[in-house]
Amino acid sequence: MRRRPGIGGLQKAAAARDQYRLLGENVAKLRTDMMKEQLATFKSQLEEFARKHKNDIRKNPAFRAQFHEMCAKVGVDPLASNKGFWAELLGIGDFYYELGVQIIEVCMLTRSLNGGLISLQELCNHLRQRRKKDREAVTEDDCLRAISKLKVLGSGFEVITIGKKKLVRSVPTELNKDHNQILELAQGQGFVTVEEVQRRLLWTSGRVIDALETLLEEGLAMIDNGNKDGKCQYWFPCVSSVYSFVGSDT
Amino acid sequence: MASENGFFTNAEVTTSGRPVLRRNEVECFLLSSVDLDSEDDPPRFTALRSGNLILTTHRLIWIPSQSTNASSLPSSLPLSAITQIFSHKKSIKSMFHSPRIRFQADPGSVVVTVVFRGKGDFDGFLTKFWECWRGRAWEGEDKSESETSMSGGGAVAQGLYGNDGTVRMVGLAGILRKEQEQWESTDKSLQDAFQDLNALMSKAKEMVSLAEKMRQKLLSAPSSQNGSGDDEEMGSKEEMQQWMLSVGIISPVTKESAGALYHQELSRQLADFVKIPLEQAGGMISLTDMYYHFNRARGTELISPDDLWQACTLWEKFDVPVMLRKFDSGVKVIQNKSHSDEEVMSRIRMLVTKTETLRTGVTASDAALTLKIAPAMAKEHLLSAETKGLLCRDMSPDGLRFYFNLFPEFDLTNLHLVKDFGEYAEWIKATSLVSV
Repeated sequence: MRRRPGIGGLQKAAAARDQYRLLGENVAKLRTDMMKEQLATFKSQLEEFARKHKNDIRKNPAFRAQFHEMCAKVGVDPLASNKGFWAELLGIGDFYYELGVQIIEVCMLTRSLNGGLISLQELCNHLRQRRKKDREAVTEDDCLRAISKLKVLGSGFEVITIGKKKLVRSVPTELNKDHNQILELAQGQGFVTVEEVQRRLLWTSGRVIDALETLLEEGLAMIDNGNKDGKCQYWFPCVSSVYSFVGSDT
Repeated sequence: MASENGFFTNAEVTTSGRPVLRRNEVECFLLSSVDLDSEDDPPRFTALRSGNLILTTHRLIWIPSQSTNASSLPSSLPLSAITQIFSHKKSIKSMFHSPRIRFQADPGSVVVTVVFRGKGDFDGFLTKFWECWRGRAWEGEDKSESETSMSGGGAVAQGLYGNDGTVRMVGLAGILRKEQEQWESTDKSLQDAFQDLNALMSKAKEMVSLAEKMRQKLLSAPSSQNGSGDDEEMGSKEEMQQWMLSVGIISPVTKESAGALYHQELSRQLADFVKIPLEQAGGMISLTDMYYHFNRARGTELISPDDLWQACTLWEKFDVPVMLRKFDSGVKVIQNKSHSDEEVMSRIRMLVTKTETLRTGVTASDAALTLKIAPAMAKEHLLSAETKGLLCRDMSPDGLRFYFNLFPEFDLTNLHLVKDFGEYAEWIKATSLVSV
């Protein structure tokens, strides 16, 4: 546009700017409309998928796991919100949130015994007992996903791996490397003694006692002082395989 | 099997006069003293007078009552043959007549009038008649029956008698075959499922990139834009949040946006719900407990932990009497705004300056009992009191105990000086009582 001097030129420039702005707004609106359309298409595609495979996801844990993996790859979180398409159309939201509620329940009930640390296996057993009447099977993978969602609540829900076992933590207690190593050691017999830890991990006695005391305090360990040989045993309910807790069915 | 009058089919009845119903046929209504007349002139069928009319999901069955002569046989008309039901016109004339329904049926588009001479729920019958006719229960069955005949022996037989009346042997062969077919169908459907899953995921990928663009737009939108554009901006921002939520992308609540509308509503709902549990828990409840209680109360349509957290973070934007608070240990709690730290501190102070506790200190469980709050909360409070300098900790084989912090009262130049004010004197009194 040829620049014109004077007031006329200024007015023209202002008018041009306005026009551009309007155009920009229109383009933005177009883009929003396009987005809406895209979303509608996606939703109908998901509806179609749900119509055909809703039951498969519910009944088949392998398919469910695959579904989750693919979602993670793509970058969507199907469990993010109850109001998301995934939860609404596939109905998996309720399944996992209910599982979360049950996991909280089990952890609360067993906390007095194991201090807030429970093995994944035991947790699943408890859950299966509670869910006897539900026809949908619950796998360890499902539990892990439910727990990962519970993390945001801030009570310290986390899954830690000690040796070969996976433990679920439900208290905000932080366990450092020393504690983890002792727990790993305890998996063998369900308990450790100070001498054993010293021998196997080559720590000083002070370090051993410090770690064991902390674990005692937090309620993760129980002390058994009545052995014939006089050695003090520290038992860990969470990793003990001989320990089985018969839960009460409500 | 046409009857003598050529229109209705004979209906099977038991020895006690009850109609024999076919598979899946359900009786819906029974009326007595009903006539079935032919409207046309000359009449297309001989009228059936004074019998019981039974409406089922599949047929209309007319059974002569005991008193009528045996010339009329039990008759039935399948509902599938009815082409039209004429609407019942209420007029002055009809008030004096017995109520009647007219409908048209094949073969031959015969118009039939049903006259209700007895006392019965005529309107109820009419409603049910429409329902059953519209319900078309016979159609679903025809389809499944034809499928059965096509797939051969794999179908489940109802009862001991198969469709052709012979005794069906289920046995091991039948069971094995059923298992096999189920396996095959599952396998195939799974293959389909995986294919569909892949297609869906590629679409989802598109949505994710789209959502990224949206997110950029949200973040980069200038917050200072005066004029009417503001409301529109807010509206569309909320919309965008909602869309992202639908697709499954969590976007945090920013300073400008208030999040999806869903979370806003949930936030208000939660603020109301939380009042009672908060009272019971003594003014402070952990987010986990809240998730537990809220979802238990809901029963269905549960909310996700992220939903709960998002809703709670929104509280600071609204004027609600509750707030979300995060402790150093990472524990998140909900507490009343009025429930200030000062108040708790003063209560703890009162607790630890009692003679008993000056001597023995408090554990988290003691504090929980006295302050009437959850043990985990009590521990948090004691720890924060310690950070403030109110308490001292004592770690012993007995566990972790807290004592009133006397150190500020010591005069560093004269450690044994006991001032007249302060707790030191009290403490000495309390602890010396033991040795007495």
